[in-house]
Amino acid sequence: MITTTPEISADEFASGTGWEIKPEGACKGDVCVPLPDGYSATHAAERLGMAVVRDDASGLIAFGPESLSGRALVSAQAPEVVLPDLSGNEFRLSSLRGKKVVVVAWAPY
Amino acid sequence: MSDPEASRPFIEAANPTHPSLLDPKHQLDALFGVVNIPNVIWIDEAGTIVRPPEPGWPPGDDYPDWLREFLDGRDEAVEKKAAEIEAADPELAARMRGGQDRDAYPDAIRDWARKGSDSAFAMSPEQVLEASADRGIDKSEGAAHFELANHLWTAGERESAISHFNEAHRLQPDNWTYKRQAWSLVGNEEAGGGEMGRFNQGPLPGAEDDWPFAGNFVAESSATPAGDYYPATM
Repeated sequence: MITTTPEISADEFASGTGWEIKPEGACKGDVCVPLPDGYSATHAAERLGMAVVRDDASGLIAFGPESLSGRALVSAQAPEVVLPDLSGNEFRLSSLRGKKVVVVAWAPY
Repeated sequence: MSDPEASRPFIEAANPTHPSLLDPKHQLDALFGVVNIPNVIWIDEAGTIVRPPEPGWPPGDDYPDWLREFLDGRDEAVEKKAAEIEAADPELAARMRGGQDRDAYPDAIRDWARKGSDSAFAMSPEQVLEASADRGIDKSEGAAHFELANHLWTAGERESAISHFNEAHRLQPDNWTYKRQAWSLVGNEEAGGGEMGRFNQGPLPGAEDDWPFAGNFVAESSATPAGDYYPATM
């Protein structure tokens, strides 16, 4: 997630990282990580093992993905994915619930 | 990060009935741990991942004619090289064949489609987490640098982008997506763009000193055993 300030709202944090801020902490799938100091993006990032890297020249800040479990996946519940097709229409992975899904990542190079 | 037009001919030639989506910001990496292509993820009816990202292939190779021609020339060279290695060092040759059994992959998917969670290929949630990519704080930092690099490249900040790409490569040395994206962007510049420009992922002869990355595709892929480039997962 790229931002211009570390002071971002819980809603922005959720849409940028997939981690919802709830009373019990930062939650994704079936996992919740308590936030003893309450919500701030930097505290949540620290608790979730997200690196925060600043590009000094542009002032941009990037939050890396969570690393708290030592693995790319902290939950087997598939995260929401929203991506456009060639015509620019957004497609939600969750719209395929009820069917088996095989996601194939490829690249045209 | 390619323009949608780079994908269009492939999607239109295949004319699939399934959705074909674009991921220019490499979200599948942060969300699932996709570090190379092709990578495949299986998700069941309830939205539970039953196989995390792994190399996987379709049956046969239904490429457009122009790509088939391009690959045919290369396949011959690859086969000749493999025969040389087999003759000189059978142990190394065996290690290079350690990659996935490509032909078996579609059959494994069919088995799961038929049997669901009773399929031997469907993993439990615990197995899925364990089999997903390693990710410590250093890799998270590498991902943050990669996202900055993509963003800055798109904004025209070439030199800053290259320095963040180099940090991403240092922190995630096994991430081929991070490398090939960066090599392809600069390689395309060197080749002067065009249809094949983005396939150029290393310095042109004589321009080695201007190449801004520690590695390039030909040098790194030829030094990597097949079983490391595409780890065997079944």
